[in-house]
Amino acid sequence: MIDVRDLSKHFQVRKRHEGRMAVLRDFVTRETHTVKAVDTVSFNVAKGEVVGYLGPNGAGKSTTIKMLTGLLVPTSGHLTVNGYTPWVSRQTYVARIGAVFGQRTTLWWDLPVIESLELLRYIYRVPEQTFRDNLREFERVLELNEFLTSPVRSLSLGQRMRADLCAALLHDPDLLFLDEPTIGLDVVAKERIRGFVKHINEVRETTVLLTTHDLADVQKLCPRVLIIDHGKLLYDGSLTRLQARFGGKWHLEVDFTEDYADVTVGGAELLHYADQRAVYAFDRRDLSASDLIGRLSARYSLRDISVQEPDVETTVRRIYEEKLLVQDPII
Amino acid sequence: MRLFWEITRRSFRRHLTYRTAALAGLVTNSFFGLVRAAVLVALYGDREVVAGLDVQSIITYTGLTQAVIVYLSIFGWYDLMNAVHQGEISADLLKPMRLFSFWLAQDLGRALVGLVLRGFTIMLVYALIFDISYPAGVAQWGALVVALALSWLLSFAYRFLVNLAAFWSPDAKGIGRFAFVIVMFFSGFLMPLRFFPDWVQTVAYLTPFPHMLNTVVEVYLGVVTGSALVQALLAQALWAFGLVALCQFVLSRATRRLVILGG
Repeated sequence: MIDVRDLSKHFQVRKRHEGRMAVLRDFVTRETHTVKAVDTVSFNVAKGEVVGYLGPNGAGKSTTIKMLTGLLVPTSGHLTVNGYTPWVSRQTYVARIGAVFGQRTTLWWDLPVIESLELLRYIYRVPEQTFRDNLREFERVLELNEFLTSPVRSLSLGQRMRADLCAALLHDPDLLFLDEPTIGLDVVAKERIRGFVKHINEVRETTVLLTTHDLADVQKLCPRVLIIDHGKLLYDGSLTRLQARFGGKWHLEVDFTEDYADVTVGGAELLHYADQRAVYAFDRRDLSASDLIGRLSARYSLRDISVQEPDVETTVRRIYEEKLLVQDPII
Repeated sequence: MRLFWEITRRSFRRHLTYRTAALAGLVTNSFFGLVRAAVLVALYGDREVVAGLDVQSIITYTGLTQAVIVYLSIFGWYDLMNAVHQGEISADLLKPMRLFSFWLAQDLGRALVGLVLRGFTIMLVYALIFDISYPAGVAQWGALVVALALSWLLSFAYRFLVNLAAFWSPDAKGIGRFAFVIVMFFSGFLMPLRFFPDWVQTVAYLTPFPHMLNTVVEVYLGVVTGSALVQALLAQALWAFGLVALCQFVLSRATRRLVILGG
């Protein structure tokens, strides 16, 4: 469905001078340097997939989404969606896609939600029957009826996001772009959004491309993730595989019944020990949790234990910060 | 076409809801209209007719120009500019619709509310206070309706064009302010163009501005008749459709620039 090959977008940015007369020199010269917002990115997305598009701020996510929605023309490379080149046939193309940008609404600020939705029906030329069926279904799943007649400006963020999701899907798009759809929402609201996206994908086979900073979104929705940083695609695969590769060590927390002078144990690293409580780090590929517990209980008397798997949050943060994938991307 | 009316209808309803603001505006516009009328009458002194306009006409003129302030957004209009600067325009580009028609339809709703709520009411206030003149006969009323419609289209095209500057400059507001002050002068809003020396009138008629307002006033007052009237309406139409075409051209350049350089 989405076919992207060697896609690049370079921006020319004005160079600012420093030091004396900087303002004057800025004014008289026009030196620029090139910023590679997206640099030779390639990937494919098949129909019905839900793909998470991850990367730190300024990595090139939004630029990619803008190219995919036809709002930006790439500097070079190949990009087709469903056979369309988005920015060439924008009007025809955008009629077949839906997009939700968490940061801003596509609805009309002063109009009641239902009025906005009806206007969209005319804009997208949705047949009356389809419109009514879809609206009824989305009303139920997204619980829209409590605020359908309120003007958009008076909605809470969670309500607005639900209304926006509904608006983006009324015309049965094949492809849905979600740009940070859960940003700023509380736990319940996030769950509701995720549930709806899952529902849409399962029932209608809508292809979804999702950017987010909330990895719980990705864990619950996306079997496949793409990671981009500094314009380069660094990873294409499942989150589980990423975790297995870069997840780091598991932690075992142990409470002893008495004060032992030495609690070191082979195969695990003692991170912390005080007040009868010790924390070990171990690599699951070398030693299983039960083996470690076995070794400990053979030597000491234990009151309580808990095992913590490394969380995705930490893994992804390490990938961003330590640039784990920059040297050899997995794609 | 259906979409156009649906947008217009919603815009109309939306503008109807701001009742307090509408009332405040009405009071202000009426008050300044009366002040302008008083000043002009004082200037007339003993003279009956100046540049073909008698006292009754000049009073009517102040009423008319005040009545179309909202209808034609004489004091300026920056909605599109704001939408571009705040990035809302990208949401519009993501919808399968023509931007120009979309904004045109919205402005029609706004203008109609302005015409009904502000325009008619101000003329009513004037009719109660002064002995104003009215168009005589079906032909003149018809010509007035045509002139009003064309003046709105022309004024919208001009405002849209000015607002498109936002695609190129982050300080487009300044350009806008300048562009709208020019309108006030050359459209005959501040003074009837007939009061000015010939050369000023000649210059003014090389611009689209007199066709936005002065033509409406002269049609209403009946100072242009016969073939001159037909000519005036044709000139209006020519300017209006010319600027609409220019809008489409500049808009396509603007969107191309946006998609290449980024927002």
